[in-house]
Amino acid sequence: MSAVLREARFLLRDRGALLWIMLALLLSVAATGFGIAEVRDQRATIAELLVEDARDRANALAGQSDWGGAAYAAFHLTYAPPSEFSFAALGQRDTAPWLHRVRMLALEGQIHEADTKNADFGLIGRFDFAFLAAAVAPLLLILLLHDLRGQERVAGRHDLLVATAGKPSRLWLPRAGLRFAGLATALLLPFWAGAAIEGAGMAKVLAASALVLGALALWWLIIELVGRAQASPPVLLTALVGIWLALALLVPAVARAAIEASTPVPDGAEILMLQREAVNGAWDLPKEATMRPFLAAHPEWEPLGEVTRPFEWKWYFAFQQVGDGQAAPVAKAYREGRIARDRAAGIAAFLSPTALVERGFERLAATDTAAMIAYEDAVRAYHGELRAFYYPMLFRDPPYDPAVLSQLPGYTPAQ
Amino acid sequence: MTPSLEARSLSLVRDGNVVLNQVSFTAAPGEVYALLGGNGAGKSTTLLTFLGFLQPSGGKVLVGGREVAADIEAARAQIAYLPEAASLYGHLDAYENLSYFLDLAGRKVTRAAIDAALDQVALPHAARTRRMQAFSKGMRQKTAIALALLRDTPILLLDEPTSGLDPVAIDEFHDMVKALAAAGRTVLMVTHDVYGACQVADRVGLLRGGRLVGSFEAAEGQRIDTETVHAAFAEREAA
Repeated sequence: MSAVLREARFLLRDRGALLWIMLALLLSVAATGFGIAEVRDQRATIAELLVEDARDRANALAGQSDWGGAAYAAFHLTYAPPSEFSFAALGQRDTAPWLHRVRMLALEGQIHEADTKNADFGLIGRFDFAFLAAAVAPLLLILLLHDLRGQERVAGRHDLLVATAGKPSRLWLPRAGLRFAGLATALLLPFWAGAAIEGAGMAKVLAASALVLGALALWWLIIELVGRAQASPPVLLTALVGIWLALALLVPAVARAAIEASTPVPDGAEILMLQREAVNGAWDLPKEATMRPFLAAHPEWEPLGEVTRPFEWKWYFAFQQVGDGQAAPVAKAYREGRIARDRAAGIAAFLSPTALVERGFERLAATDTAAMIAYEDAVRAYHGELRAFYYPMLFRDPPYDPAVLSQLPGYTPAQ
Repeated sequence: MTPSLEARSLSLVRDGNVVLNQVSFTAAPGEVYALLGGNGAGKSTTLLTFLGFLQPSGGKVLVGGREVAADIEAARAQIAYLPEAASLYGHLDAYENLSYFLDLAGRKVTRAAIDAALDQVALPHAARTRRMQAFSKGMRQKTAIALALLRDTPILLLDEPTSGLDPVAIDEFHDMVKALAAAGRTVLMVTHDVYGACQVADRVGLLRGGRLVGSFEAAEGQRIDTETVHAAFAEREAA
């Protein structure tokens, strides 16, 4: 305890160390603040769109006179609301869509037409708490600890200090430990405040805190090992920044390139094009060519599957579904490819503490690839509910009754 | 009586160079032993072996009769070390520096005791609350000497202790060292100041090229003859 108090008093007089700790505090406040603002903006967007979506659908349905027209005209909002922990790690929400307004038309094109949005964020990333904790915090720790021994050697105090302390650990452990604790506290206090404001669960906050402390402890170990070399502070700093560059940037970049090369994934645009070509091509095909595969998938409509008129809604929506079916192998390859890449990236992340922390945060925040794919699956499931609602109307063709549309399935996001 | 400090056939090889070669001497409680020598003679290296910073390549160093390598921490606990041109923290004042280092040594010392030690080394009162980056070299050295005094250990290792001190302060320092020895402390000082060594030491060892090439002892109630030592020093250095 005496050693902690001694080094605490010493730290309070060390302006250089206090500067880095204060910078960490400011960056953490900024990252947490940006995260909360972004998440609130997304929630506000969803709330606003829910109102607009209901109003727009009511308007669209008001002018309809048959079931097919209603199914064609109405949009339905689906969305993945940010979790209460998303403020800390916006993750894949920057690059993957988290809302779609879908219609009864072929679905895969509707899901993948937004894949190329936010390409800039995919490149540079966003300054959220996960980025701060994973990438910036190790640099601040390096700046705080790299010259603990080196500056004492340069000043000619090293031997006096160690001889006076008797045991080196009696000096360096509390001195480095307090700087570590100061940095960790400066980083985590705003994060904890943000978690309280957002109502994030205690278990997630504790897990995230443990992740930050664990990663920083690993960097402390690296700094400690490198710092034992009898080199000058600038040489030590250069070596440590080099290690940081390798672990934080180079390893993830090389791993990403290797994973992308070894696990080819079709473009979302390929799915879009394939599905559109299939749907558009269906207009020129004999109706039998559409209805045969459709009825094979839906034998329950076989008795009502004959198309006798030049245009019937059941045929129109059947070729939408058949278009989805034709794009399905590519969509499946796209989905499974992303999962395989994500799994490989998870293994590669063990080579980079930075990547590991970011992935850990994204998992806790449900902003990782798995969560984004789960949202796509939820959209597919909801679209299936819409088809299950409309197909009886389209095939049995009961008299049009707008009141029945009040029973349209609503989208309920996963919690 | 077990000597407080003993170098027994101490040898040290660093990067293929023989830095210390079969050096042997002892320093008993109440004795001031001065190691004299020119630059690169191995004086400071000898001190660092007693502190466990350097491991002998041959022979032994003992503190209080125990080999240093067996328990470095125990050896250091008995020693107050004053390095050459001791640099304390410039952003702290004298009180803060001394409190910090004494706390590091596990000693609780009152402000009055610190003042007494600073009085003993004649550091002006007005300077004590100033940051040490504004101190002259002599004032920094006085503060470091005060630290060695406040450590209150049975052994003092002093590396060029009078470096930076003015003549009056050097005389006062020598008196202080004699008083410490009279109180039973063992003092091992390394210096290239022949006159100062002869003024204060009970025995002087002459170190050259890592070898102990001469030894002089004061007769009962007398000081070591400076001219004799100086002649030997000059002869050896010229050789």
